[in-house]
Amino acid sequence: MQNSKLIKFTESIGDATLSFLDSLYEALHFSALCLIHLLQAKSYSPAMRMVLIKQIYFTAVRVLPLFIILASVFGSVFVGVVIVLATKYNLQSEIGSILITFVLNEFAPFFTALLISLRSGAAINTEIAVMRVNKELNTLKHYEIDLIDYLFLPRIISGIISTTSLAILFAILMLMSGYIFTLFYMNMDLHSYKNLLLNAVEFNNFVVLLLKSIAFGFVTMLIPIYSGLKTQDAYTAIPISVLSGMVKLFIALFFIEVISLLLQSL
Amino acid sequence: MLENIALIKEFHEHMPTSKAQAIAQEYLQQLDLGHIGNYRVNLCSSLELFYVMVIRALMSQKKDILILAPLLLIKRIDTMDAIIKTLEQLNDEKKSITILDIHSNELYYKGCRCNIIE
Repeated sequence: MQNSKLIKFTESIGDATLSFLDSLYEALHFSALCLIHLLQAKSYSPAMRMVLIKQIYFTAVRVLPLFIILASVFGSVFVGVVIVLATKYNLQSEIGSILITFVLNEFAPFFTALLISLRSGAAINTEIAVMRVNKELNTLKHYEIDLIDYLFLPRIISGIISTTSLAILFAILMLMSGYIFTLFYMNMDLHSYKNLLLNAVEFNNFVVLLLKSIAFGFVTMLIPIYSGLKTQDAYTAIPISVLSGMVKLFIALFFIEVISLLLQSL
Repeated sequence: MLENIALIKEFHEHMPTSKAQAIAQEYLQQLDLGHIGNYRVNLCSSLELFYVMVIRALMSQKKDILILAPLLLIKRIDTMDAIIKTLEQLNDEKKSITILDIHSNELYYKGCRCNIIE
């Protein structure tokens, strides 16, 4: 009796592992396909370019007012907290490098990716899921329109461009608004603040910012698209698909963050 | 609707968007449907949507067009005659158009200028 329970338990673990590996393989295969299409010139048809422009507008341009306000508010508050803590622990000489590392390498790309995930990732997941349930994807296939080229690639490229450009803008706004705090809290003039940052910034800070933003931008669009594609044929499956897609996306974002921290600590 | 129709030529023939949309607009104007060019699906009638689908099919490079049970989409018509005449008018490339329908809809095709194969 106990033996059969043990066998069933072992089988269930085996099934779960196989199913996980199968899904992982499928997801990696889909990512590889998207990357291959990304590098092919024939993927860039006028229709695709039109979708790309619209996606960049919806993802990066329309979010700007909210984004600027958030970056300025968070900027002054967070830079203020960093300066207060650095002063408390006698690290005034390191304020510049702490600010640059914190803003450029960590906060700007991660916060931008979170914002784009919440705003555009969820929308794209729903859009693809609705298209799948309404059989619009089948219609496109009937007309031999490559779904990756026409639907997915513009969204992925717009994710990469939007996350990278917004992360750079976020970092600039954050550091600029941080000056307001230093002015009132430390009586630091603009010239000294500028020198403090310029002396601390290094080339690898920009490399990390760019690489992280590109990786974040890629998964921010890829995972919701993949999750939308996997929706079952029912309207009731759409919220489940969005929920599952967003959870996977957040796990992926944290995974990239951890990997980047590990690589930076090497 | 223009984007929807123009997509086929933009994608398969890499035709610039403006040119593909101009062709789509010409097709719509032939049917006096130029005004639906900027409409979304929910603003179009079932007949307008049917014509958009036909134009889209005509813009593809396929030689044969198969229309499956059109009466499921087009609501409130007495006969298919006017529609078949419009299809002939649109089909300037002389593609083969076949309509596949159920036997109980035979009445709608009575007197139409088309071959009916049972």
